[in-house]
Amino acid sequence: MAGSGKAHLRPRDDVLLRVEDLVVEFPAGRGRTVRAVSGVSFDLARGETLGIVGESGCGKSSAARALVQLPPPRSGSVRLDGVELTALRGDALRLVRQRLQMIFQDPVSSLNPRRRVRDIVGEGPRVWRLPGDRVDEVLEAVGLDPATAAERRSHEFSGGQCQRISIARALILDPEVVICDEPVSALDVSVQAQILNLLEDLKARYRLTLVFIAHDLAVVKNVSDRIMVMYLGKVCELAPGADLIARPAHPYTRALIASIPGGGSGLPPADTLISGEPPSPVSPPSGCRFRTRCPSAAARCAAEEPQIRQVGDDHWLACHYPALPVSSKE
Amino acid sequence: MRRRLGLGFCLAVGWIGLVLLAALLADLLPLARYDETLAGPPRSGPSLAHPFGTDGLGRDVLSRVVHGARVSLGVGIGAVLLGLGVGAPLGILAGYRRRATDAVIMAVNDVAQAFPALVFALAVVAFAGASLRNVLIVLGVLGIPSWVRLIRGATLTFAEREFVLAARVLGARDRRILWREIVPNVAVPAASYAFIGMAVVVVAEGSLAFLGLSVQAPTPTWGGLINEGRTLMEDAPHVVLAPSIAMFLTVLSFNLVGDRLRAMTDVRESGLEPVRQAVAAGPPAAAHPVRDTLLQVEELRTHFVTPRGVVKAVDGVSFTLDRGRTLAIVGESGSGKSMLIRSVLGLLPGSSVRDGHVYLSGDDLTTHGPAEMRSVLGRRLGTVFQDPMTALNPVRTIGTQVMEPLRVHLRMSRRQARDEAARLLASVGIPDPVRVLRRYPHQLSGGMRQRVTIAMALSCRPDVLFADEPTTALDVTIQDQVLRLLHRQREERDMAVVLVSHDLSVVARWADEVIVMYAGKVVERGPAAQVFARPRMPYTEALLRAAPRLTDPVHHELRVIPGRPPDLAGLPAGCAFRARCGYAQERCAIETPPLSAQDGDGHRQACWFPLEVAGPDPATAAQLTRPPAAGAPAPENASGVESRGR
Amino acid sequence: MIVVHRLVRLLVVLVVVTFLSFALLNLLPGDPVTQILGLSATEEARAQLVRELGLDQPLLVRYLDWLGGLLGGDFGTSYITRMPVGGELAGRLPVTLELLVAAQIVALGLAIPVGVAAARRAGRALDQALTALSFALLSTPVFVLGVLLILVFAVTWQVVPATGWTPITLDLGWNLTSVVLPAITLGCGQFAVYARLLRTDLIATLQEDYITLARARGLSPRRILWRHALRPSAISLITAIGLNLGALIGGTVIIETLFGLPGVGRLIVDSIFSRDYLTVQGGVVLISVGYVVVNFAVDLVYAAVDPRIRRA
Repeated sequence: MAGSGKAHLRPRDDVLLRVEDLVVEFPAGRGRTVRAVSGVSFDLARGETLGIVGESGCGKSSAARALVQLPPPRSGSVRLDGVELTALRGDALRLVRQRLQMIFQDPVSSLNPRRRVRDIVGEGPRVWRLPGDRVDEVLEAVGLDPATAAERRSHEFSGGQCQRISIARALILDPEVVICDEPVSALDVSVQAQILNLLEDLKARYRLTLVFIAHDLAVVKNVSDRIMVMYLGKVCELAPGADLIARPAHPYTRALIASIPGGGSGLPPADTLISGEPPSPVSPPSGCRFRTRCPSAAARCAAEEPQIRQVGDDHWLACHYPALPVSSKE
Repeated sequence: MRRRLGLGFCLAVGWIGLVLLAALLADLLPLARYDETLAGPPRSGPSLAHPFGTDGLGRDVLSRVVHGARVSLGVGIGAVLLGLGVGAPLGILAGYRRRATDAVIMAVNDVAQAFPALVFALAVVAFAGASLRNVLIVLGVLGIPSWVRLIRGATLTFAEREFVLAARVLGARDRRILWREIVPNVAVPAASYAFIGMAVVVVAEGSLAFLGLSVQAPTPTWGGLINEGRTLMEDAPHVVLAPSIAMFLTVLSFNLVGDRLRAMTDVRESGLEPVRQAVAAGPPAAAHPVRDTLLQVEELRTHFVTPRGVVKAVDGVSFTLDRGRTLAIVGESGSGKSMLIRSVLGLLPGSSVRDGHVYLSGDDLTTHGPAEMRSVLGRRLGTVFQDPMTALNPVRTIGTQVMEPLRVHLRMSRRQARDEAARLLASVGIPDPVRVLRRYPHQLSGGMRQRVTIAMALSCRPDVLFADEPTTALDVTIQDQVLRLLHRQREERDMAVVLVSHDLSVVARWADEVIVMYAGKVVERGPAAQVFARPRMPYTEALLRAAPRLTDPVHHELRVIPGRPPDLAGLPAGCAFRARCGYAQERCAIETPPLSAQDGDGHRQACWFPLEVAGPDPATAAQLTRPPAAGAPAPENASGVESRGR
Repeated sequence: MIVVHRLVRLLVVLVVVTFLSFALLNLLPGDPVTQILGLSATEEARAQLVRELGLDQPLLVRYLDWLGGLLGGDFGTSYITRMPVGGELAGRLPVTLELLVAAQIVALGLAIPVGVAAARRAGRALDQALTALSFALLSTPVFVLGVLLILVFAVTWQVVPATGWTPITLDLGWNLTSVVLPAITLGCGQFAVYARLLRTDLIATLQEDYITLARARGLSPRRILWRHALRPSAISLITAIGLNLGALIGGTVIIETLFGLPGVGRLIVDSIFSRDYLTVQGGVVLISVGYVVVNFAVDLVYAAVDPRIRRA
């Protein structure tokens, strides 16, 4: 897997965000660099939710942060409504960030412990000197009582409530795209369901476009229209959620589904689909990056990087030897 | 966050205030002139006219100490403000900007720190004159490198936090982020350093004065007074003692205030051994038979005494476990499941009290002393924790750590232990075990580390393996591998396994029996397959349905459990889940439901109104469960917040 | 590679520090010529001496000259005493070094067992006593403590001499008696700092999962404290020792004054008063070299204590 290519980008008018050949690198000491995201492309239509799923180190969070240019990607293009974000600097970049908000994984670390909820949520409008006070309105929208919550500080709230405050802070600027980076991973199951329902509710109410990142495929499937599976900085497979779960074609996607307890109906046991541990991102394998753990890897996988191609109706894949007949268009 | 600062803090602040006031009002106070010789007889002891006595020239010591405070506090406060004023902005800049800015500032700082402070102080004071201003500037400047270092460190810990990133995403400028997000957080540690810094500067000024390099006579300084008094020590000790005590108390007060401020942001402190041991107050344990089984836990309680009240982390838990079986303990965070394990093992923090019984092959572990307990821990009871990143000692090699229980418990020789350790690592699926033995934990991946901790837990062939969330910190594909490994080891070694998890679906596949915990109590217990497929306690059912499943349709509305878990410090009477339960009735608020069976299949629940309808799948079963009985209030469920308005 | 990088950086620090102190001393009012010849000297005599001492050269030239000599092991000749500076320093350095080492032995010898014992039963009597004692010691200036100790041990009990120094080459026994009181005076304050740091870090380490797991493996508290917890808790302590040693070379002047020890600190103070710049400059070299060596050693010790640092 772990392929490149842009075949899956859609030539539609309602594409709000288009990312092409995104590359994100970090220094890894001793002059080496880690390529956390390595030539990833995707697009996002207005009102759509794109789920990005993958294990730790697959580059999903790095990709998310590169979208808001924090830090800017090494190379590649991020276009929001036709505006090239990677070319923007200074005030122009600050201005465009209003339209692109983010929610983070750690609900506690996301909120400044020294500020009151009213100040945290109201920060956006104050930065931009927007008229009117919408703090109470958004707090209510995320299910918090402004009268009791607004004057308190974050340590007085539970993880789920902190995440609601983070969502309120993102919403108050009326963003077009909200990037949710593992928003429910730190929460208990019962609270996770509350936040997932809330996100769905708010998406409809404020007509949001979402990028939803998580390591839990079941969570991603619940909220996403399309799901992109990533492995070691590359795209493996992209398909609508139901289709991806019902007909996973990439060996890694299949292993991921089979590993989920109670998930892999119809798939062989996970230990026959994947072996070993992820390789070091500092020196990734040649060709297909999944080949070192893939049961169906062959010589070609080491020599040649698979390109993304269509295998079904809006079902895209980067693998030389997929588990499905390639022509299985329905 | 807010803690009591304590009596010492108040006294310290009081003393600083007193000295400050005296220094400010020194000229207005009814004191003798500090430089008036023969105000009284020389070297006379304390008297009404001269409360601290007089010095060798008959000057009033009290007056000299009070005037000396002007120099000490003036220099102390002034130098700290100077150091803070210059050092803090540089430190914040270095910590926030990083890269080139940081490199330049820190390089200059390195040089400044390496420059001999003594030479600088001597040179400036000796040649530019030892005025109050010069001493203040010297000590202030000398403090700058430390300020830069400390403030940079404090800034770095916050500059990485997500709330700073969030502010940038909102479009805030750097200046606004610095003022609104960073500065308020750095202010508390900075205030703490400021007080400790004042203590340091007061001592440093004293040292200069002692060397005759601070503010010159006739102006008195504490260090100067001590130096003068030194020669009179034998016949007039009060002359040296008065300024010494004043200086000691002042420095002590600054240190105390600084330390208390620092403690406000610090972690909880507790040592390795319990502070005291008492018995948890519970209902008298009913007489119970000691069964012929491997592990029997009887009415186990663990309570913490906190300022908010008694926290009942584990409240009357009983279970039995046989060889070759896996018991899963399931619950959300705060349900007491991890505390239950620690309670069984006797590994509780110092502030807790434990009651109840734990029988291992009929032997009551709660009556064991520490030494006896150590012969059971590791040998008969093995333990694996959640986070493999923190479960291994970072500074010891894998080999040392795996070999240790073999050497300590089984008294193996070094060579024997090494061979056995390599064999153990191989048995948990670690490739090239001999090489891995020489490595350090940070050189292994998370999955490999968890395999190592499992190997360590298994090393002395325990009878029971306790695994506390062993896969929660691992990726899903690795999680599956580790669970398989645990299962295989159980089969091979004929052990019993206690598997703790927040995720019912994880344990459903590997457990024989399941205990569901809520607010410190067991709310449901039974064969895993049955509890998973036909939960009887509404909480279990809700937990099962709150987790999204791969088989659910896309954009499927999840059923939520409204509200949040109760505060364990003040549990209401009755069923702890009732406030979040859709089926709750009056009785639930009055009587605590006991763990009771409906039929003889070993499936028990603590619920007055258990879900009865059988179904193969909770998703469908839940639709068939009876509706809430008439009059049952379900206020939480009715809230529009928790359900989707689509 | 990292070691080399670090070393180069420290050498640069060394050069910059010595240059700055050279410049600083020259900027100060008062000069050696006046000091030697007195205020009534003729212009001619002054000019002659200035030429003789090379003081007519530009600052940078004089610095480079001095630096060149230094690389050849020549610290220069004192303007005032006309004696080689190197010899003077060589006589003084052992005194200061012995004092420092003895003080560290006192401080660490007490701090490690006390810190460990206090952390083992945090919050109990011993711990509270240590906290109180360390606060008291931290708040007692070294010159006050020294005066008290002299009063008790030298004046009242007369078990050790109050002042004076016997070189180790002369008589080991007398040498030790002359160093014991200064070392205790200097070591006490540092004992308080070290014990508190170690206690705090140990308590934090004892909260770690790997310590709980070590207990779950049935290891004894003694083994856990000394073999498992001590090493990961030592980083702050090592940092403090490094900072202390770095700051103290030359910073022992109070102790040296109080106990009449012929150390480097005293030499620097006296030389500044007599405008003996080259001697001061020699002292600066010693202090900066000490700082560099200590820093470098601390880095090496960090890596030895914590394997994670070896890669960074």
